[in-house]
Amino acid sequence: MAEPLLQVQNVSKAFAGVQALDDVSIEVQPGEVVGLVGENGAGKSTLMRILAGVYRPDRGILLLSGTRIVLNSPREANLHGIGIVFQEQSLLPNLSVAENIYLGQEAAFTRSGIIRWPALHAAARRQLEKVRVNLDPRTRTVRLSFAERQMVELAKALALEERTDRPLVILLDEPTSVLEQREIDILFDRVRGLRNRASFVFVSHRLDEVLSVSDRVYVMKDGRVVAGMPAAQTSVPELHQLMVGRELHAQYYRESRQQPPGEPIVLATEGLSAGRAYRNVTLQVREGEVLGIAGVVGSGREELTRTLFGFLPHTAGTLTVRGKRVRLTSPDQAAALGIGYLPRERRLEGLVMPLPIVPNMTLASLQSVLRAGAIQIRKERTLAEEWVRRLRVRTPGVDVLCMNLSGGNQQKVVLAKWMNARSKLLILDHPTRGLDVGAKEEVYDLVRTLSEQGLAIVLTADTLEETIGLSHSVLVMRDGEITARFDAPRGAKPAQVDLIRHMV
Amino acid sequence: MPATAVPHSKTLAADRFRSFAPVLVLVALVVLVGVLRPSFFNPESLLVTVADTATLFILAAGTTFVVILGSIDLSIQAICSLASVVVALLLPRYGYFGCLAALAAGLLAGITSGILHVWLRIPSFIVTLATSGLVVAAALLLSQERSIVIDEHGRLLLSCITDRSLGVPNVIWIAAAVAVVGAWTQRYTPFGRYSIAIGAGEAATWASGVRVNRHKVIAFACSGVLAALAGVLLAARQSSGSPTLANELLLPAIAAVIVGGTAITGGAGGIGRTVVGALIITIVRVGMTFIGINIFAQQIVFGLVLIAAVALTIDRTKIVIVK
Amino acid sequence: MASSNPTSLPERLKPFAPLFALVILSVLIGLRNPRFFEVNNFIRVANAASIPLVLALGATSVILLGSVDLSVEGVVALGAVVVAVLVRNDQNHNAFGWWGPLAAVAVGALIGFLNGLVHVGLRIPSFMVTLGSWFIGVGLATLVLGGTSVRVLDPAIRSLALTRFWNCPLAVWVALSALIVAWFIERFTTLGRHTFAVGGGEDLALLSGIAVRQTKLAVFTLAGAFYGVGGVLAAAQLGQGNATIGDGRLFSTITSVVVGGTALTGGAGGTLNTLVGVLIIAVIGNGMILLGISPDVQSAVQGLIIIVAVACSTDRQRLRFAK
Repeated sequence: MAEPLLQVQNVSKAFAGVQALDDVSIEVQPGEVVGLVGENGAGKSTLMRILAGVYRPDRGILLLSGTRIVLNSPREANLHGIGIVFQEQSLLPNLSVAENIYLGQEAAFTRSGIIRWPALHAAARRQLEKVRVNLDPRTRTVRLSFAERQMVELAKALALEERTDRPLVILLDEPTSVLEQREIDILFDRVRGLRNRASFVFVSHRLDEVLSVSDRVYVMKDGRVVAGMPAAQTSVPELHQLMVGRELHAQYYRESRQQPPGEPIVLATEGLSAGRAYRNVTLQVREGEVLGIAGVVGSGREELTRTLFGFLPHTAGTLTVRGKRVRLTSPDQAAALGIGYLPRERRLEGLVMPLPIVPNMTLASLQSVLRAGAIQIRKERTLAEEWVRRLRVRTPGVDVLCMNLSGGNQQKVVLAKWMNARSKLLILDHPTRGLDVGAKEEVYDLVRTLSEQGLAIVLTADTLEETIGLSHSVLVMRDGEITARFDAPRGAKPAQVDLIRHMV
Repeated sequence: MPATAVPHSKTLAADRFRSFAPVLVLVALVVLVGVLRPSFFNPESLLVTVADTATLFILAAGTTFVVILGSIDLSIQAICSLASVVVALLLPRYGYFGCLAALAAGLLAGITSGILHVWLRIPSFIVTLATSGLVVAAALLLSQERSIVIDEHGRLLLSCITDRSLGVPNVIWIAAAVAVVGAWTQRYTPFGRYSIAIGAGEAATWASGVRVNRHKVIAFACSGVLAALAGVLLAARQSSGSPTLANELLLPAIAAVIVGGTAITGGAGGIGRTVVGALIITIVRVGMTFIGINIFAQQIVFGLVLIAAVALTIDRTKIVIVK
Repeated sequence: MASSNPTSLPERLKPFAPLFALVILSVLIGLRNPRFFEVNNFIRVANAASIPLVLALGATSVILLGSVDLSVEGVVALGAVVVAVLVRNDQNHNAFGWWGPLAAVAVGALIGFLNGLVHVGLRIPSFMVTLGSWFIGVGLATLVLGGTSVRVLDPAIRSLALTRFWNCPLAVWVALSALIVAWFIERFTTLGRHTFAVGGGEDLALLSGIAVRQTKLAVFTLAGAFYGVGGVLAAAQLGQGNATIGDGRLFSTITSVVVGGTALTGGAGGTLNTLVGVLIIAVIGNGMILLGISPDVQSAVQGLIIIVAVACSTDRQRLRFAK
């Protein structure tokens, strides 16, 4: 085998105590397409960002054609021939296609300080031809479809050829998540056609896609690379088995504490739809029941949970909360109905980070400490201390700013906020994201406690394992519709492969 | 409870700095001016100084409600002037209803700003600039571009503002009442609590089910009413109303809020701090007059003070991109 | 390959909405008073628009960054005073001729540069910095003149307002030259394009290796220079320099920029938009005179226009919170 173009050797990276990458090594051969798969939080994006020069590894090294390189910025990565097509689109919508392709590189097209547009446009056209896209380089990017923007991003990455003598490595970070199947086919066709110009590292959730376009595949799990093999020698089920990995030991998810749900229905929907995000969703959640919703990015499950807390009002069907038919157009309506929301973006939507624990605990239920319209400061404080004790929030005191708590303790404060508001229905949107194992287990414990107290819970989790482990029943969504329903009672949990079949 | 070491908080230190630094500055300034001119320390002179601060403080107190949200109100000086015009016009015929009408005008202007701001999601500085335009036009039309002198009868009515009780000018009592009620509101009412939360993290506050828009409108309404109250006091003290009466007050008012230690990014501060800020601004002004700095040139100093205060108090960890 | 987003006709016409508004306004005013369409009236409009255009061009570049510059009035006042005291005048024996205007523009650029330096260097929001320098500028202008006014006696400077070329005052030609310069910078220089990049997405621009800080610094400097030119024209037009010569110009400047279709969020719009915006405001002012409407209402009309314009250009789907 020839010398690898790019090698990652024993790279580790931690964020705020959470090990995102743990001793990771991969390599990319010239002209090769390498697939990178793993569940959310497995470390794929962190690895990509290290390769792109956005993050620097805590330990370990990068080698390019056998020479050690250090990347301090995306610009330096570019100069080494490494370009990235980001998951979230990184083109400036108000600029033209040509300007975006050569953003920051205009100097090559100026004469005595004046931009020579014809030269810039001609060069941009050359780049667009490489990806065989017929676009006027003068078009403003905001006018383009998602698929076209993706192609422009690819062209932008390929334009690196003109700035470096090195062979290119192009990182594709979930480029397919917003594309239609036909557009994905075209993208893959282009990627295959470009292998004489560049090597690719391809990250995706969709295992079949990864297998169809890659030469070799690495599987990541919990920040480690757990397997690497030629794509031809593996299969979707095998990859999945590797991604999920560990045998479920039932106690991890406190399965023994799972009680059968109560009778009264807390949440019910009938034919619920929201524009193009999801359609015809019918579900029921009873007291003490945990309903897990499984699905990949773009399945509509994220939007569905946003609807349940008033962020995204539904456009058709009915939504019934505790016997009342409602349409939620803002979070305060949802909160008034006894719904609580534990957001994925904890730092943004979960807590007011620059404020102490006390006001955060009572933010959703200030009336619980009011007397004659005035806040009883001492009572509020006692209440907060009570919650800190009950949920075992690890903090020196209730005056500590939430930004100084660890992720797990922040999550507990969010839960306390809603428990104090006496929520009857909790939306848990990726409740364990970014938490370490110990903190995760504490959250699982809390979820069980909440169930025992009769709270209904709707759960979207990072991993299938977690979804199945915690839920009483699981809905599977794909392309905005429910494709399957599973019961997940204690001791008779469905297998992940069965769910996967309905997800992709 | 297991007490684990929490990393030292930069924000907490910044908060401490924000609360104590202004008081230290105030004390230092008072001492400095007192040394320059010992007569400053006689009780009468001090009372006059504080009375001179009252209008500025009330104006700044209103702005504090808005700045805590992380927004800004640039319409206060226009509202203040309009209120003086309204009072001067209505006082002779309608008596105290003139004062009420002036406050109502301020309330209306504040609510208008607030509603346009939250409903159309227009940045507050633009909305209040626009409201300013409307208010200035109203003041110009009502006054026919003139200064309106308040007659004997009117002055008698307003003596409740210009007189003294217990030897202390009534404007000081009024300002003290504003300070106490304002500080109480911010500390003990849900509105006050939510305002801080909105300034510190609007998304999280909204996602906790707080009616963010309603509380923002209330804040702008407070700002409008207090600006109008300041206008009434100003009219009483100067025995006239004019559409340009408060023209030099916007900058000192905002400076008072910031100098007092309320963060321009919102989420920290309060009216108590604005008391200190307003006193600092007044002492600086008194001091400049002692030293003999041209009264016109004092704006330069306030401009510099404002920028310096923002630079010292701004919480840069909160904003990634500064526009 | 999938085709581009199908853009509906209204969507395509949206950028031209200000132009339609200008035409419709003109027709409406012309129908009420045919004198609007007389050549002399057009020249009057052009003349009235010349100073606002120069100022708005400067402000446009800052707003394209997504920042804002409130120092217009301060710089105009200072520029006008600087030019007035340096050329032949009734207060001193200076007669520096064309060095006067040059110095005024240089002073404007310097203030702009300092704005940029403080904004970028200390990471303070631009509106706060420029609020400070607004008053610093006015204060300096007052200080230079001690609160008085100075008459400009230099015929060369006066000729900017009095001499006509092709029937138009020279000021109009100066403004047109400024327009061409600004348009050229915007369209054909890296500075211009990077301004758009920073306004469109500062984080992305930074990732692409654009020198964001230098770009901002250059833009603020340039804006200051434009205001300096505006100050010179103002001094020429009124035949004098004083500290209040800039009063009211900030509001009309920002209104013009926004009405022309340049978004306050940055990255969209440009000099040609601003030309249209300035003409809209000038035509309204002219129309109000022709229709006999009190000039007092002018600020109210501008206030309403600015709200409508910002409301129309704000994407409320995308922007959940405004501060």
